[in-house]
Order: sequence, then structure tokens, then C-alpha cells
Amino acid sequence: MITRNSLNLTRRGFMKLGGTAAAVAASLESRRLVAMEQSLGGKDFSAVTGAERQAVPYTCLACNIEDGGVAFVENGRIVKLEGNMDHPNTRGKLCAKGNAGYLHVYDPDRIMTPLQRTGKRGEGKWKRISYDEAATILAAKLRQVIDRSEREGDPAIRNEIVFKWGRNRTGGAVSRFMHALGSNTMVNHTNICESSKKVGLEPSWGPDIESCDWANTKYIINFGSNVLETAYFMNPNAQRLVDGVVANKAKLVSFDVRLSNTAGYSDEWYAPFPGTDGAIALAMAHVIMNEGLYDADFVRDWTNVTAEQLIAHLKPYTPEFAEEESGVPARDIRRIAREFATTKPATTFSYRGPCKHLWGAYQEAAIHMLNVITGNVETKGGYCLPRGMGWPQPEPNPPAGKVPSVLAKPPLYPLASHAVSTNVPYMIMKGEAKVSVWMSYYDNPVYAYPSSHLWKDFLTDESHVPFYVSFSPYMSETTELADLIIPDVTYLERHDPESMPSGLYPCLSIRQPVIKPLGGTQEFRQTLIDVIRKVDPDEALGVRKYFAFDTVEDWMRAHFDNIPGLKEAGGWNALKEKGVWPIYGKVDQETAKLVDRNGNEVEAEYGLHRKRLSASEIADAEIDVQGTIRKNGHAIGVSINGRGHVGFGTGSRKIEIYKEGWREYGFNPMPVYKRLASREKKPDELVLTTYKVNVHTQSRTSSLKVLAELYHKNPAWMNPGTAAARDITDGDLIRVTSPLGYIVTRAHVTEGIHPEVIAISTACGHDAYGRLAQLKHREADPEYALGGDPDVTHNVWWDDKGVHPNPIIRLAVDPIGGSQGWYDTVVSVTKAEPGDMYGDVRVSTEQAMKDYDETLRYAYTGDLHRAAHKEVDVDWDNLPKPALSVGH
Amino acid sequence: MPTPGLQAEPSLGVPGKKRWAMVVDLRRCIGCMACVSACKAEYDVPLGVWRTIVKVKDTGTYPNVRRNFMPRLCNHCDNPPCVRNCPTGATYKHEDGFVLQRYERCIACRTCIAACPYNARFVLPRNRTRVGINGVVDKCTFCQHRVEKGIVPACVQTCLGRSRIFGDMNDPNSEVARLVATEKTAVLKPEKGTRPQVYYIRPERAHTEQVASRPASYAARSDAEAFYRHNRGSRFFAGVL
Repeated sequence: MITRNSLNLTRRGFMKLGGTAAAVAASLESRRLVAMEQSLGGKDFSAVTGAERQAVPYTCLACNIEDGGVAFVENGRIVKLEGNMDHPNTRGKLCAKGNAGYLHVYDPDRIMTPLQRTGKRGEGKWKRISYDEAATILAAKLRQVIDRSEREGDPAIRNEIVFKWGRNRTGGAVSRFMHALGSNTMVNHTNICESSKKVGLEPSWGPDIESCDWANTKYIINFGSNVLETAYFMNPNAQRLVDGVVANKAKLVSFDVRLSNTAGYSDEWYAPFPGTDGAIALAMAHVIMNEGLYDADFVRDWTNVTAEQLIAHLKPYTPEFAEEESGVPARDIRRIAREFATTKPATTFSYRGPCKHLWGAYQEAAIHMLNVITGNVETKGGYCLPRGMGWPQPEPNPPAGKVPSVLAKPPLYPLASHAVSTNVPYMIMKGEAKVSVWMSYYDNPVYAYPSSHLWKDFLTDESHVPFYVSFSPYMSETTELADLIIPDVTYLERHDPESMPSGLYPCLSIRQPVIKPLGGTQEFRQTLIDVIRKVDPDEALGVRKYFAFDTVEDWMRAHFDNIPGLKEAGGWNALKEKGVWPIYGKVDQETAKLVDRNGNEVEAEYGLHRKRLSASEIADAEIDVQGTIRKNGHAIGVSINGRGHVGFGTGSRKIEIYKEGWREYGFNPMPVYKRLASREKKPDELVLTTYKVNVHTQSRTSSLKVLAELYHKNPAWMNPGTAAARDITDGDLIRVTSPLGYIVTRAHVTEGIHPEVIAISTACGHDAYGRLAQLKHREADPEYALGGDPDVTHNVWWDDKGVHPNPIIRLAVDPIGGSQGWYDTVVSVTKAEPGDMYGDVRVSTEQAMKDYDETLRYAYTGDLHRAAHKEVDVDWDNLPKPALSVGH
Repeated sequence: MPTPGLQAEPSLGVPGKKRWAMVVDLRRCIGCMACVSACKAEYDVPLGVWRTIVKVKDTGTYPNVRRNFMPRLCNHCDNPPCVRNCPTGATYKHEDGFVLQRYERCIACRTCIAACPYNARFVLPRNRTRVGINGVVDKCTFCQHRVEKGIVPACVQTCLGRSRIFGDMNDPNSEVARLVATEKTAVLKPEKGTRPQVYYIRPERAHTEQVASRPASYAARSDAEAFYRHNRGSRFFAGVL
């Protein structure tokens, strides 16, 4: 009997062999045709009536991966979600969160009407108003700022209009709105997410993330990413990772301080001391370079360093050094390095573990380098560039505001291309910027940010934030502090353009209302149109023209109707019907590869950097000594053996292992390892880390009953030895104390964690976000809410909502990448004291302010920066002055 | 004695008959819970009951620890004891192998629950979100309503790791039949003589033993205690931490 794997090999080989092999393959082929396999999806029927459910394609937004989906509607109600079989990267599957996404629509606590505050901030007293009234109120507030700016002739005043988002998948709608208002103060959330990963990668090779060819690889080193549960592109990555490990027999090695599902699935799991992944990666590079296991051609042709420079740079990073720092045995580091370099193809993947530290960008750059020196970049089965697809903005599109925003682009962090959103309240409280109108969208910093209590103080204080409007349909910890709530609809009821590089096949996808928005609620995009019309009723400001869409759907048509290829396929209408474009092929039932009509694999494109420049592109271009091809002052490619290639998205079009831009600010231009303060902790202290689980996002899913049933409490993981040393047993009440204060939670004693680490998951311990998240589900419906789900009211059986760790997590900003150092807080852990109650939180705002001052000392202008970078060859007394710059 | 017409004859290996079955490839299960979530949606499964679940268990001591996932569902036995023991003929075996429930005949006497060695059955609570079938016994149907229309069960459809594979065991060309023929597989509690039709590829002892193990950690135990406090008289708890 032939197994599935050998069957595939036979089918592939048959093209080349012919003869006997062809006959064998043909018989296998025909046998496959005989099997009456069930179809993998695309249709759904009611289990009760048998009636077919109406199918409408959409794009998921349970988290940020944007999987292709199909919603099934029964009697006007969304009853089931499924993956869209036409989506080339998510291939018909949704994760647990995606499958539960329809519950966002029917959340009993969903806000069904605009609300105006009537009591004090945060008091919970509201007046129901209409969308029109709400838009009028907001427009008047915005117009006041604009008028003052005009009156005083100061365009900088417009930057007092602040828009803060946690998740902005509007495809440019927010920028259009803010630029129309003349403000550049758009504050994202990326520094609490993975920004130092992005900043470790962008100057190295252009884009901000890798796209591993999991299914075709033979060896994977995973540095601190929980790719099977969360991380960027969890669903599509997990699918192909399992294919790689099981079908392609790839080896998976994970470095993580905690036994995540990914670590638990790995062939080998190592728990390094937190923040030492970079030392391990550098030691592996040391081994690969010194033992001659590197790809000499690739290093020579495609990087801006020589092998000799690398060997010299890596000299101190021996495996023994890495063992000393990380605790991972040198012999394992050496062996894994050799295996990685000699097994082809291979790839690394990394996510928040290495980069969410002070100097996280160095760690990411070190890991990236492993793929470069082994020549695995852009190979089949290797470490590939992300593949996205763009779409045009409807014209006219407003220009950016006239004055750069200090909040959107903080001058002390010139390399942090994804900004430093954690610092915003501190900057405002210290008078570095002023706010007149604060708007928030998909954003819950009072829960999701480090020292979250500081955000509560900040947003509650009207002297800092005179007017606050939230567009959230849920009463989050943050939204409950608003003066005005103009609820958006859920992602299943609105329009958005999408493109995510979630795999090796670039595509566009859309969101569209699967059902009419519930109860007369209105989508955000329409609210923006209405507000602009009220801000500029007579076109005197000249901004109304930027929102001259008769309907929201017209806005979508303007994005999609003129894209070459898509236009011929039907433009927006084609996307409405299929949800995604282009359609590459079908998902093969047994291999899950994309295949064409004849069953042949539709292979992804590889070697994007090797794409040749055309003769006309090269004409009149100059080639510098490094081989960079320049035309009209712009680098357009790389010359190798007289041939022009497009190269990478860097200044030299090569992979820049040496980053001159970092040196200018006194950072080491090469990937280095810097010992963190947490590494110097006292022996009886622990490093606090947090993590996400497979069934929850950071803050938005605790209100979804199916997911809350699966995971609702978050006792703190401790190693048995660590617990025993503190006389703590499994389930004991414990105090976790950082300089900010303490929380009281319970211990989960487990073998799956580093002895010097305590890990507490996010997504639990809400003080808002509806009744279920707080286990107040038996309370009456709030007046503004959608109302009861009898299942929630009567059948919730769990009685523990968990304790959120963020109040005791210290602000710590990577001076390069701008990331929050989520895993840098040192704590002491003891048994709870008499009188301590589960869920107690006692924290200090003064200490949070001190942490801000402390972390600024690491910024490029700070004293600790200089002390930590004595090796850098720069004129320390003449570093560039902090400067404002446009953009974000 | 089987009641004629209710207990279809075992069909495994019977020419001309279908025998639907599932293969769970444990090498491919990543414990993502997509199956659980999809199943809950497909049937409006209320809180506190599950048609399918994935059990999680860690084994080993630091630093040599592994995590094991064990998807569970009704085994759609070829010789189902639940059907034999149902006094009202509510539970029956379809000739293609599905073990199903006729709600209108069910008196919630729980005999079938006691008879099932796999803890795959439960009583629906009184309150549900959108489906009005309450207070009777329910269970996994292998998504018979989808399978009859030519579509795999909802849990198989969404399975990220393609760990769950569904098909006709009597069709030698089907993927399930070929996997069972070529891979090392096991079924749960074969000694009970139920001829279960959910086959697990490469189960280790850690997988099969945890089926019967009690919650070990505080976290799991306290969940179970909370569950039984809320659902007095229930024997069924499939929850995970």
C-alpha cells in the first residue's frame, strides 16, 4: 500500500520519468478519481431544517490576519462562519476565534446606539442619541479646532485632533479623514505589538515581516513565536507548518521561555532566559561562519558586508558565551547551527519573544541574519519576502497635514518607524503635546497597555483630554471613559478593502455587509462621510470633496474598479461575489496545495529579488562600487556578474546587515546582543512574561461565549522548583509585585516554564467589555445594549474571570524599534498575605511616570544609551538633534 | 437485543454499504480548538455541553516536556451500546453508520449516557440561543446533514492541521480507508466491543490515557468543580482550561 506522502512524490516525479512510472502514476491517478470524497466546504445547510444557508464571502477581523471567510446566513441571522476556499493563503479554514466571530455581531452587550455622557467620566451614565446628532456634536468639536487654527494662523493646532487606533483595517479611510482635517496625529498601537521586529527587518531587507515557505521547508528554528496559537498569520502559517513537519518531515526547533502549543509541538524545545534569543542567534551565526557553513555567493552578492567582516564581528559570540547568557547548552547551539546550515531549505521564524524587549530590534536583526548567511532568502522552502498587493486610493486624496506631529513621530525615537504609542499619555501629561479632540477606534489601552492604570488616569482627566469620542461598539475599559460613543458595526456588517501577505500568493480581499447592520447601527465609514459633511457644510474648507461618495459602496468601487486584471474580472462586483482576487486554483483535498484544473500545483513565485531589470530600466543608470544600480539618484537594483536585478527594498538594494542609519544615532550598526537589566535581577526575583492563547485576541474576545468557555482564567505559570522555594503549591493565592505595585492571582505550577520566569496570559481579567467578560452575565441588559442571549444568562458555568497583569508591567521602550519591552519587568512572587483577595490590584501612577523618565534614558539622547554603546564609532557630542518629521 | 429498524446492522466492510468514519491524525493536531468553535456554531451548541472537544495534557519534566492533544467526539460505533440501551428508540443507528438522535422520542432518561463508554452524550439545557430543541439528549452526528449533501463535517472543514479526515471506510480508495490501511492507528476502548469508527493515527499512551484521567492541575480541577456546582446531577464535563 502506498502512503499519502509517497503518492505525492510519485505524482510529481511522473512528469519527468515517463514509461513505467507514468503507468504507475496513471493508475494511482485513476484510483483517486474513483474515491467519492466529500467536498471540503463552500456550502452549509441547517441541521434542523436541512435548508441551504445563504453564503456571503467576507474577510475575517477576529484578529489581524485577515483570513478569507464565508458567512452563512439563515433567516437573516449569521449562524456560521467558514474559511473561503478561494483564498490562496488561508485555504478555506478559520481558527477558533474566526469561527466564533459571528458572536461579535450578537454580543448581548453590543452598543446599539450612539451615546452621550451625562454623568462624570467613567460613571456609566449615558443618553441615547441618533447617529446624526452624534456626528453633529463631533463635527462641531473638530470645527472648533480648525477655526482656532485658522484664526491664529497656526496649522500646528490641527494636530490637537488625535486619532488613536488599536486595529485600523479601514484601508486608508482614517488617514483620509485625518488629513482632510489637517492633522497628522494618528497614533497606532504597533509598539505594544511587534514593532521592534519590523524595525529589525525593514532596514535589513525592506519589508517588516518574513513569509516562511513552511510547507516546503526541511528545518525551522522558531525564536519566541507561538505560531501555532497566535503570532502574525497564525492560521495560514500553522496550516503550512503542520504540512511541513508531517508531510515534508521538517524538523522544528523552538526557543521559548514557556511551553506554548508551538513549543510543545516542536521536535526540540529550549527555554532560554528571557531576552537572550539574540545571543543564541549570534552564536549560531558564529558557528556557521567559522565552520565555513555559510553561503559564500549569497553573502558576497547580496549583502553589504563581507564574510571576513562577519567573522570578525561575531568573534565574541561563541556558543559558550550564549550558554552563559541564555542557559541553553553550547553543544545544542552548535549542533542546531550546523543542522540549520546544512539542511536545505531551512528558515527561521520569530515573533514577540525576542523583539519585545529593550533593544529588541537587535535581536530580530540577529535572527534575520541566520537566513541570509545560509542563503535561504527567497528560496523554495526558505525565508521569503512577504507578498502583498496594493489598491489605489480614490482621487482626490487629501495631502498630509502641514505640521509634523510629535505624538505620531516622537523625535527621541528617530528609527522607530512604527512610532511609540505607549509614550503618548506621558508626553501629553508632561506638556509636550496638547489634545483637543481624542478619537479612538478598535483601541483599549486602559486594558491592553503596560501600566494600564496610567491610561485610565490620563483619559479620565479632562485637562489632558478635553473631549473623547470612541467609535467602539463595545463598552471596553477605554470606551467607558468617552464623552461620546458613535458605535461602528462589526466586521461582518461593513465594507473594507484588504490585502495581507499571509502566504506566498499575493491577493486582495474585501469586507462587505453579510447582513444589514443590526438595529439601525451605522458603519464607521458612513460616520466619517457624515462628520466631514458637517465639518465642511458649505465646502468653504475645501475638504468635503475628499468624501464625495454617495454611498460607502461607491467608495469601495473607487478602490477596486480600475485595477488591471481585476477590472476585466469584474472589479468590485467580482470581489463581492468571491471575496478574494485573484483565484489561483483549487485546494487539493489531500495535499492542501493549490492546484489548477489538471491537478498540477500552482507554485508560488520565488526569488523576487533576482527579478531582472529591463534594458530600459538600466539605461542611463550608474553602478557604484558596491554593485548598487542607481538612476536619477535612486537605487533601482543590484548588478551581479553584469546582470541587473531588482534586489531588496533597502538603500543599497542589498540586504544591509550593516545599518549605517543605526550608527548615526549611536547604535551598533551590526546585530549585537546587549544584556538587559532583567538579566541582572536578584536570584530570588522572577521575570514576568505575558502571552496570548489560541482562542483569544489581546482584549476583544473575552465577551465571546464560546471562546470564554474554552479559556477564561489565567493563573500564573510557575516552575515546580520555583513554587516550592516560595512554599507555593498549585492553585495557591499569590502576590506578584513589581515596582509599580502588585496583583493577587493564583499559581499554576507546571513543568512547562523556565524556573526564573512567571508567565501570565492576557485576555482575562476584564473590568469592562460587557457582562460576560466580567462574569456579571446575570445582571439586566444595559439600556443601550443589544440584549440577552439566554445561553449566556443561564448556562455560564465558570466562576473565574482571571486577573490581568498589565497594571504591574513597566513601560520600557526599545530605543531603536520603539517596542514596549513586555518581557522586561522583574517581579517578586510570594504567597498572598492575610487579607489579600483574588483579583486585588494595587498600583502606583507616580511609579509609572518614573518608569517613563527611566526609559527615556535609553533613548538615543539618554545617558544609559551612551553607556551601553561605548563600542560605537560615532561623534557622541554631535549626534543628530531630535527633530520632527512628517509621516508615520 | 437490537430493536429491528433502529439498530442498523454493522456495515463496516459490507459491500455496497457506506461506513462513514473519521481519522484523527494526532501528528497534525495543534490543539487550536477551531473544531470546537466551528461545531458550537454549526449546531448552536449551548455552553456547558460539547459535541466535540480537544483534551490537552503535558507530559515529562522540565525541560523535557511535550504537549499532547486529543480530539474527542462520538465514535459512531458500528456496534453502539447507546442504541441497544435506549428504551424509547430515540437513539438509532443509520444504515450508513451515523449514530443519531430522534429528539421527539427522547425522554432524557440518560440511559444512553450511562451506556456510552466515551462520554459523548449530554442533556441539552433548557436555554439556547437560536435552536429550540431543549431538555433532551444530544450528541455529535458526524454532521450527517452535511455529509448527505456531499460535504465533510464542520470540524473537518475547519481543521487547521488537517488532523481530522472524513470519509467512507468501505471505499478502499477513500483517504480514511487508505490511512487506516497504511498508518498505525488505534481506536478508543476496543475491548468494549463497540467497534468505534474514529481512528487515531499514532496515539501515544499520553493521548489515550488522558481520556479517562481526572483533571490534575488546580486550573482544570477548579473548572470541573465550578462546572458541577452549576450543573448539579450532570456527569458530563468535557471542558479544558
